[in-house]
Amino acid sequence: MKPAAFDYHRPATLAEAIDLMERFGDSAAAISGGQSLVPLMNLRLSPSDQLVDVSRLAELQQTRDLGDSVFLGAGLTHAMFEDGAAPDPANGLMRQAASHIAYRAVRCHGTIGGSVAMADPAADWPAVLLALDAAALVRGPMGERRIAMDALLTGTYTTSLETGEIITGFEVPKLPADARTSYVKFNRKVGAFASSLAVAVRQGEALRLVLAGAGPRATLLAATAAAFIAGAPKTSVRNTLAGEVALIVEADDPYACALHIATILRAIEEIS
Amino acid sequence: MFVADVRLPGLQDIAFVRSGVAHGRLLSVNKPADDRERVFTIDDFDDLNVLEAGPELEAFRQSPYPALASGKVRYVGQAIAACVATTRARAEDLAERVEVEIDELPAVVDAVAAMQPGSPRLFENWADNAFIARTISAGDLNLFSASPMRLKRRFRMNRHATVSLEIRGVVAHWDARLEELVVHLSTQGGHVMRLGLARALGLPENQVRVIAPDVGGGFGGKNRLLPEEIAVCAIALKVGHPVRWIEDRREHLLASVHCRDHHYDLTVCFEPDGTLLGIEGDVHIDAGAYALWPTGSFMEASMAAGNLPGPYRMKALRVNTFTVATNKAPMGPYRGVARPGACFAIERMVDEVAQHLGIEPYEMRKRNLVKRTEMPYVTVAGLKLDTGDYHDSLDTAAKMIDISAIRRRQKERKPGEPRVGIGFAVYTEQSGHGVVEWSKRKSRVVPGYESANVRMLPDGSVNISVGVQNHGQGHETTLAQIAAHELGIDPSQIRIRYGDTATTPFGFGTFASRSIVFAGGAVGVTSRRLAEKIRLIGAHLLQAAPESVRIENGAVLSDSGSVGFGEIARAANIRQEMLPEGMEPLLEFTGTYEPKESAGVFSYGTHAVVVEVDEATGGVKILDYAVSEDCGTMINPMIVDGQVQGGISQGIGTGLYEEIPFNADGQPLATTFGEYMMPCATEIPTVRIAHSVTPALVTEYGVKGVGEGGAIAPPAALANAVADAFRDCKASFNETPLTPRRVWEAAQAAMTRMEAAAETRA
Amino acid sequence: MKMTEISVRVNGVAMKSSVEPRTSLADYVRETCGLTATHLGCEHGACGACTVLVDDVLTRSCLKFAAMCDDRHVTTLEGLANDPLTDLLRQCFHESHALQCGFCTPGMLMAARDLLRRNMTPDEITVRNALAGHICRCTGYSGIVHAILLAASRLKPDD
Repeated sequence: MKPAAFDYHRPATLAEAIDLMERFGDSAAAISGGQSLVPLMNLRLSPSDQLVDVSRLAELQQTRDLGDSVFLGAGLTHAMFEDGAAPDPANGLMRQAASHIAYRAVRCHGTIGGSVAMADPAADWPAVLLALDAAALVRGPMGERRIAMDALLTGTYTTSLETGEIITGFEVPKLPADARTSYVKFNRKVGAFASSLAVAVRQGEALRLVLAGAGPRATLLAATAAAFIAGAPKTSVRNTLAGEVALIVEADDPYACALHIATILRAIEEIS
Repeated sequence: MFVADVRLPGLQDIAFVRSGVAHGRLLSVNKPADDRERVFTIDDFDDLNVLEAGPELEAFRQSPYPALASGKVRYVGQAIAACVATTRARAEDLAERVEVEIDELPAVVDAVAAMQPGSPRLFENWADNAFIARTISAGDLNLFSASPMRLKRRFRMNRHATVSLEIRGVVAHWDARLEELVVHLSTQGGHVMRLGLARALGLPENQVRVIAPDVGGGFGGKNRLLPEEIAVCAIALKVGHPVRWIEDRREHLLASVHCRDHHYDLTVCFEPDGTLLGIEGDVHIDAGAYALWPTGSFMEASMAAGNLPGPYRMKALRVNTFTVATNKAPMGPYRGVARPGACFAIERMVDEVAQHLGIEPYEMRKRNLVKRTEMPYVTVAGLKLDTGDYHDSLDTAAKMIDISAIRRRQKERKPGEPRVGIGFAVYTEQSGHGVVEWSKRKSRVVPGYESANVRMLPDGSVNISVGVQNHGQGHETTLAQIAAHELGIDPSQIRIRYGDTATTPFGFGTFASRSIVFAGGAVGVTSRRLAEKIRLIGAHLLQAAPESVRIENGAVLSDSGSVGFGEIARAANIRQEMLPEGMEPLLEFTGTYEPKESAGVFSYGTHAVVVEVDEATGGVKILDYAVSEDCGTMINPMIVDGQVQGGISQGIGTGLYEEIPFNADGQPLATTFGEYMMPCATEIPTVRIAHSVTPALVTEYGVKGVGEGGAIAPPAALANAVADAFRDCKASFNETPLTPRRVWEAAQAAMTRMEAAAETRA
Repeated sequence: MKMTEISVRVNGVAMKSSVEPRTSLADYVRETCGLTATHLGCEHGACGACTVLVDDVLTRSCLKFAAMCDDRHVTTLEGLANDPLTDLLRQCFHESHALQCGFCTPGMLMAARDLLRRNMTPDEITVRNALAGHICRCTGYSGIVHAILLAASRLKPDD
């Protein structure tokens, strides 16, 4: 189980990395921690034969206080969040999520930016960042742009990143102290990808409810959130939720629906 | 040092081209034009023999399994060509460039459907897809029509893999000086593998040396000769430099030995008071595409049927067994062989009957377990349960787990809280079976003895060579303990050697919970012979009468003096003039051992487990796991505990996590640890273990085997516990692994039935 | 085949090597450096047998390319032969029957050492979580968990 041959590049600057990514186009892959990409390469399931190592770029390691939000570099590892070495503007939600990603050695290398760029439908960071209404900062041949998480995630392993673009980090809004968050993951064993992941972020009358592990990408459940905030009776919230989940879950799968309903209801319970 | 750590000058790697389809006619294999000489297909070997495999029975159909596919491919992952290159990565590059053309045929993926008329067939010259079909019937068959009550259930234990953490590996080279093929092989029994390799390659056995260095787990999976292993050796004979193949995890899950895959369709007959009368029905074993040398997986069916009565008094048994060929990787033995399936079926059945009659499952077992006073008890299937107290075992486990506390907790449960359930499973584990049992099974190789060579060197230190193969069982410790006991020296003065056909006496290897009985016995009786000779020499050197001396702490003692083993060994090996008149020099004996009776001795035990089930997600969490077990005399209790805990861990894997599902085209759907769930420290609880010791009557020291027992009962105990959690709605959990989806679906179906029934009543 | 030149300090020894970019760190230490305590059990990051340290950070060596470790310090189990904490763990593994076939043990020791360096007083759940993603097929884990808790109980503040 060894990867196909590839060329390895380790640009010294972000600009150089973007040049390489643009030059090689679809055959290029950026690698930082490599904890999701390398398994695919070892299985020869990755089409890239130009590997651009961005793991040492200082720009991706930064954190900055932006006032209402915090900039978190794409190269920060899960373990940095788990250990409190990276700021958590979400009152502990990011730390909680980080500590439940895969295994310790993987968390020591896997990065928040890599996880989002990989866009696995069951991954933690896309769901958490979507629930936090974060935005990705992206640098590419045409300069920098800011993409809201909802616009970044387009499908299973796909994002709206253009050729040559690299996620440099995320702007994550600071949650007020009285905000409530919950993170409910159901998986077959500790460290396995989520069979269902529910994340809720509530600030007073604003609730963002996200489901991952269902359908092609993490999804906002706006109708359910609205029904809950409006004070709808439990059965009615549940029915709205069932309706939203049914739209996401592929084919006729009562178990999957029941599972997602269960994790979301628990996430709601925790922020009630 | 494991096989993958062996370094030889000029070593090159092999990667296999494997079938992407489950069933098809192999039309062509095109080698890359510039690298033809580094790619091998079956056509490159005209001198390889295809080994007959399976039991030596006329009725057992042969499924010729060539080292590389020939004519047809019969499962996804079957090796078609082998590519040699300087690194594994380059060998895989080469494999990608080999073009294979296959005319796809319909796949056979369900063992029961495979026996229906009109099913596609794997082997055109077979009348149907059964390797063998046999009916086992015993006892008073009239009971089946006369029984006052009966219950019919279907059980399924799904297919998984053996998953030793060290995967398979072969390093092979031709030693030009000695003119022999040296094969480093990750195996449970190098001597038997040499037999198979020599036959397949057409070499005399004295020109094949098999070395098994450290072996990183086997669990049965490394007790069969696989075609890749033959192919690698055949290539080594051709290329003139060492070659190796280190199986990768995807290959392991795709194409290494698979296990379980049992289907039961059973009816149990019983009295209104819960007394079990008999069991009848069909057992289908999905054995995959080929029988593996030497004995295939034919024991699955006969042992499953024979173990259905379990530890219970029953009067009748009638089971039709079918060992069926399907387009899946070949099945081999795996820790527990057949009994986890049989135990699952009978122990679930006991709980189903208890539920049906409104009896506490514990009581139901008390009513039917064989009593101590009935020992030895010959079960209706003909197994002679030799010694033990099954009732005491059940009682002990029940006390450890505290049934009444769980029942209280169940009563006090509020809606929305997780459900809690308790489950029991009682098992027996046959071990130490020799000639009688294996020849009854028509085994191609009859592992009826083990051997030991015990040698004291001139300085008094001891080397013992055995034919078994430690791969995690701690033989260096237990066998040294036994020899130390017989020789009156410290275990640290004894080295145990195994794993090299050039330096160890012939033996069958480590499997079937046999090593402590057979190799322990061989080391014991042979050490005793050595001790006796030491004593005689000692007496001579002390000028004392032989009957007046004894051995103690590495010396021979008389009333007036003592002589150390060092001096005695020196005399025996290098100063023969000091020996008694006419005595042969050397302190070395080779002996074999088989228990006095070779139908086997039975370890047994009770597993009791408490689970919490999340009704909304189907998730199962183990809250407590207790075992009371009896494996006869324990040579090393710490190793016994390790075997029990480790076996249970694998049983929990079978029961809750591990599965290789197949789609309708025969594509396996779990080929990495992403899809194949391996439980870790976060999933496996520490098991509480209670021992009782009823020594066996027919083995040295009263030992019984313990390797497999732990793996037998967990699926049954877990399923009973989950069912217990849903007692109020009579849900049945009859298929493993109990994934959250299966649990939820079974519970949901039961609740829907209950609601419908309530509506009908209303 | 295009090669990449790397300088890696492996167990304190400066190595200069020319490697294929696709060479994993695991294959590099095993095949190039001849350090075979690092085992390969899955090559997709799920079994933990290949765990090593890169700049003292716990690393699945099957999920790192050697090229990415240029200028780094790599420590395999061989490099911890004289490490007091590893010694203590070895002793506790021995006493607790924490290994049977031994194939997972190097990775287990790495994970255990890493945990105890971060947390000298872990409870059982913390130990089990630190071992998630480390597969042991033989022991059923209880001996390993016991060994690590035993080692923690013997740790002195200055270890």
